[in-house]
Amino acid sequence: MVEYVLRTHSVSKQYKHQLVLNKVNLTIKKGSIYGFIGQNGAGKSTLIRLVTGLACPTMGKIELFGQNNERELIEARKRIGTIIEGPALYPHLSAAENLEAHRLLKGIPGKECIQKTLEIVGLQDTGKKKTKNFSLGMKQRLGIAIALIGDPEFLILDEPINGLDPMGVVEIRELLKKLNHEYGITILISSHILSELHLLATHYGIIHKGELLEQLTVNELNKKCQQYIHIKVDNPDRAATIIETRLETTHYEVLPDGTIKLFRYLDTPGKVSKTLSDEGLIMEQFMPMGEDLESYFANRIGGVHHG
Amino acid sequence: MDNLLKFEFFKLRKDRSFWTLVYGLIASAAFYPMLIFFNDGAFSSELVSVKELYTYTALGGNNYIVRLVPCIQAGFFISSEYSIGTMKSMTASGNSRFRLFSSKLLVFSIGAAIISLIFPIVITGITAIFSGFNDMPELSYFVRTIGLTILYASAFSAIMALVAIIFTDSGKTIGFLILFFILFDSILYALSQKFSLFETIFNYSVFKLFLDISKPNIGNGEFLKLLLVPVMTFIVIGLIGSFVFQRKEIK
Repeated sequence: MVEYVLRTHSVSKQYKHQLVLNKVNLTIKKGSIYGFIGQNGAGKSTLIRLVTGLACPTMGKIELFGQNNERELIEARKRIGTIIEGPALYPHLSAAENLEAHRLLKGIPGKECIQKTLEIVGLQDTGKKKTKNFSLGMKQRLGIAIALIGDPEFLILDEPINGLDPMGVVEIRELLKKLNHEYGITILISSHILSELHLLATHYGIIHKGELLEQLTVNELNKKCQQYIHIKVDNPDRAATIIETRLETTHYEVLPDGTIKLFRYLDTPGKVSKTLSDEGLIMEQFMPMGEDLESYFANRIGGVHHG
Repeated sequence: MDNLLKFEFFKLRKDRSFWTLVYGLIASAAFYPMLIFFNDGAFSSELVSVKELYTYTALGGNNYIVRLVPCIQAGFFISSEYSIGTMKSMTASGNSRFRLFSSKLLVFSIGAAIISLIFPIVITGITAIFSGFNDMPELSYFVRTIGLTILYASAFSAIMALVAIIFTDSGKTIGFLILFFILFDSILYALSQKFSLFETIFNYSVFKLFLDISKPNIGNGEFLKLLLVPVMTFIVIGLIGSFVFQRKEIK
């Protein structure tokens, strides 16, 4: 049976007359890295704020580790670690002192976890240096360390790579992969940097203007983003036969409108067009196509009309 | 709750604004008796009555300290948690907001109580040493006034914590609280002169009763009133603060 870490049931949030979230049904499976994609103001942070208890939904239910009443949710939040809109640090304290404060906050016995957590994020040598003097990358890593204290099963990271330099981004990505693979931590990560999410996430949720447009796995996304040759001819059935017999491939798809998606011969499209033309087919459209996550996202949100 | 109290104490111990206030007050309190002892360039402490100095200078001067100095602490200790983002991690930590606010209020009150005791204790201590323990206040009077000072400091700190939890900016909190504590009792007093309802409110308010704690002779009924009003204020305002915090969206 699939185990869900987080499920939201028709969650809506309204501020005065503005509907910020509209009946969002989001599901995150245990062990996944869920990339939460959306423009500024799409509702990502609002949903994260509802899940973490910073605000209450106007309608709908939040289910965290299978718990959904208020008291149970408070208890369930002990099993999560968060970075919400930037790392929450006491600037006049050192990295170890910040972790000590959060250890006490979470009621974790023993101080051993502090050194262990600092080692995981590579901040074990920062000594008494105050966090206000840390670089942005160090602050983000410390933010993740704070989220990690108490061995959470679920990490909620709102824009954890914002403002990082390329090396910092790589460091955080590798760290999150390690946490997911080695420690089995489920991660919800929201980011504007879609190319980065593409290297990390196993599942995606696309939110736009408060509506969750789509949830898909990385395989589904790759399939949707797959490169192909878009072909439209006067006789698609015959074209399909020619593709199989003359071009000797079955890696194609005929869509209901007669358009053919050919997933082979991407390097030699001329051979395809010549073969089809030689067989007397009239070519109406012929072009290589495909999307990356960014263009898929842009197309996805561009295709939605709101009244 | 135990872990939250430890968490708040840890922060108080590491809070530089708190220690700056404490050291500043200790230095002022230590310096103040010297102004009395050094007269025309000569040191004379023989005629100084510790009792009088304690009653009028230490407790009288402490009136402003108890009501104004912890306002600064409220801004830095409570409101600043919003701006640095730690209020979010606290709220998302799996602790109920009632417990979060209660522990914050308790530890903040202890901080305010420490601040409120510096002036009377340091001034009295130094004066006693230099004057050779001349005309010391009675122990029962000293204990009673110190105890009541702690209670009133706690009652005021509940009001400060309520404001600090509403305002999410330390500057706004400090500014509002200082103005409030400077003006509110005068406004309440003015209203009490015109309306009997406000007269009752004023007479049973911590703002009025705090001025009575240094009275040398207090009857049992009055003492009970001096004792109960700050306790009730602390509980009622604390519950209101908790209610407000539970409904507040943390930004």
